[in-house]
Amino acid sequence: MQTKRNWVPYLLILPTFIYLILFFAYPMVRGLNLAFFDDEANLALHAEASSDAAIADLIPQSASIEILGRQGNLVAEEVLDENNLLTEIWFTIEAPDVDGNTVTGWASESRIRVREEAEDGTPIMGTVRRRLGSNADPLTSVYAEPNENSDVIGQLEARTEVQIVELATLEVWFLLKGENNGTPVEGWAPSRYIQIFDDEITGRVDRGNSGEFTTKFVEKMVNDRFFWPAMRYTAILLLLIIPTQFVLAIVMALVIQAQLRFNSFILYIFAIPLGVSDLAVGILWFAIFTQNGLLNSFLQTVGFIESPSSWLTADSRNWILVAIWLAEVWRATSIVMVIVVSGLQAISSEVLEAAEVFGANMWQRLRYIILPLLRPSLQVALILRTILAFQVFAVVIALSGGDVVTVLANETYRQYFDLRNSNVAAAYALLILVISMFTAVIYLRAIRTQEEASAT
Amino acid sequence: MSSETIPQVAPEVLAVHEQMKRRQRIRRGLTYVLASLICLWITVPIFFIFSMAFTTQETVRSYPKGFLPFIPFSTETMTFFLNSDGIFEGVINSITVAVITLVLSTIIAAPAGYAISRYIFPGRNFFRLSILAVRAFPIVVLSIPMAVMFIQLGFFDSVYSLSLMHTALTLPTTVLVIASVFASIPYELEEAAQVFGCTPFQAFRTVVLPLVMPGIAASAIFTFVMSWNEVFAASILTIQNRTLPAQVLFALGNSSEAYQFAGGFFLLIPSLIFMFFIRKYLFNMWGQVSK
Repeated sequence: MQTKRNWVPYLLILPTFIYLILFFAYPMVRGLNLAFFDDEANLALHAEASSDAAIADLIPQSASIEILGRQGNLVAEEVLDENNLLTEIWFTIEAPDVDGNTVTGWASESRIRVREEAEDGTPIMGTVRRRLGSNADPLTSVYAEPNENSDVIGQLEARTEVQIVELATLEVWFLLKGENNGTPVEGWAPSRYIQIFDDEITGRVDRGNSGEFTTKFVEKMVNDRFFWPAMRYTAILLLLIIPTQFVLAIVMALVIQAQLRFNSFILYIFAIPLGVSDLAVGILWFAIFTQNGLLNSFLQTVGFIESPSSWLTADSRNWILVAIWLAEVWRATSIVMVIVVSGLQAISSEVLEAAEVFGANMWQRLRYIILPLLRPSLQVALILRTILAFQVFAVVIALSGGDVVTVLANETYRQYFDLRNSNVAAAYALLILVISMFTAVIYLRAIRTQEEASAT
Repeated sequence: MSSETIPQVAPEVLAVHEQMKRRQRIRRGLTYVLASLICLWITVPIFFIFSMAFTTQETVRSYPKGFLPFIPFSTETMTFFLNSDGIFEGVINSITVAVITLVLSTIIAAPAGYAISRYIFPGRNFFRLSILAVRAFPIVVLSIPMAVMFIQLGFFDSVYSLSLMHTALTLPTTVLVIASVFASIPYELEEAAQVFGCTPFQAFRTVVLPLVMPGIAASAIFTFVMSWNEVFAASILTIQNRTLPAQVLFALGNSSEAYQFAGGFFLLIPSLIFMFFIRKYLFNMWGQVSK
């Protein structure tokens, strides 16, 4: 060990540190954000039809609205393919006005009929359209800016030839009126956030652009019909799996420590499940419990049953639980065993020999010497296993199809993958995190109280 | 040991000794029985899925199947599985992701592991503890925000984004394992090499590196297996470029049992092979990690 203070160790841990910030701390924050922050809760209404204008009011998502006016506004290219986006095209034109002066200004594409196009399709020349209707204004206005609310700098007669200098794509902004919690609000908003109904004067706010803290995703999670079953089955499985696993792991560890003749081979067999994915284990036990699987085949060949019984159907929930239990014990006991073996290796053989000399039998040595000395290892294994038990996922899908018996991790997957609701999925993920941390803290507490009790 | 090795002992003592030896032999016999039972508990399901993966599809559907060794051997089921849609691509994707993950996490973790085992510096404990905390974190918790993040970055549904995710999952374990591997090589060796005129880097390369290579290889293999096995993040983060477990999971609901069983066994293969090579390192790896 070097104790000299220098910068080398910091340089060495830097990559890991950066990586964990990027791919661990940041996603955690993002997860919190997803679960508790609704990015699209409100739509900001601007005082004028420009995103630079001050925000006058907020209107909640899916509120009904009334359209009072519309205006084009220059739009950034990257939002052009968004849903609901309404665009209009305006031309910069150069033409003689009614007084004979040449004016240069903006006119809407709807007022100009394009007569001539450049090779690449850009319009270069056109004529002013005639206005139809008896009492329509026969003149067409030229504006200082590409919207109808700006200053009129000239009037053109119908059929006047105009040179098209430039064209601009504009997004339509609506002046709209609606209600926010009973208060009437009014202001401008871009068309891409709004859905207009067929009558063209009413609509609804399709999505917001200004977020707000919300508990609605958490509420949605709790009110989901799979939520409480998932909680219940996760807890039941935890209570079934962990004690069995620890007993079996300690037995396996003692077998390894006994140094039998084929110890290395036995260790290999014991370690295999450590490297098996939970999906493979789910399929493995599905093959055993399925209707024409190993279990039924065996029972029928031996003569216990007359016809195959079905273990993994909605009517036999308890058997599904048993199957998941066995599968998880099969899979995850090895890791506990490995931790227990390394704990056992730290117990000096002299202590055990002394106990044997004093006549302690196997059970007494286990109860009064091995287990107490193993406690630190068991603690670590317990916390690790409990946290990992909340991740049981593919086993459950393989054995129950994911509906009959469901667990929290499976619900996270369902919300994200099947229902495409990443906010609720993030809420589930956070719940799993909170429960696992809570359990870990309870364990540590319980262990500490025990130690204090034994110290006094 | 026979009674001749302890001469001039009263017969009563000898009798007690004999009794103890007999009891010990019985206990040893019982341990063998126990060991065999546990081995059966682990191997019988594997053998069954193996026999289902290498038999005819007709046998997979048949009932009752009879006792295990009499199931006819055939490569039909496995061939059917390997020729199914998306399996070949899935295997390629899985291997790509696992290899990138193992390279990335070994390269990033090795210096950190070395620092933890060789230096005492302010913040060392904090670093160790945060690594432990990260290691205990559920994959499920990270996958959802990561998926949303990758979608926003336009870096979704690719083996590379999945490798980055898997690296985040395996990195903490790899750091701790590599730290324990370095810790098992005494620093004095490095010092001695430096005394004999090596530069610190030379000392590291010629003395330490050859000694830690097997341990690091074992940890890399374990990283590979972890990535190969990972289902949740893989099915959340990939749609078109599914890895093998994600593909099998996706097809699980509407596929034949032949497909499922062959897939299940295929997923098992790396564990069967690699555990054989790294079994001796397990205690080093996990023993240290748990401390």
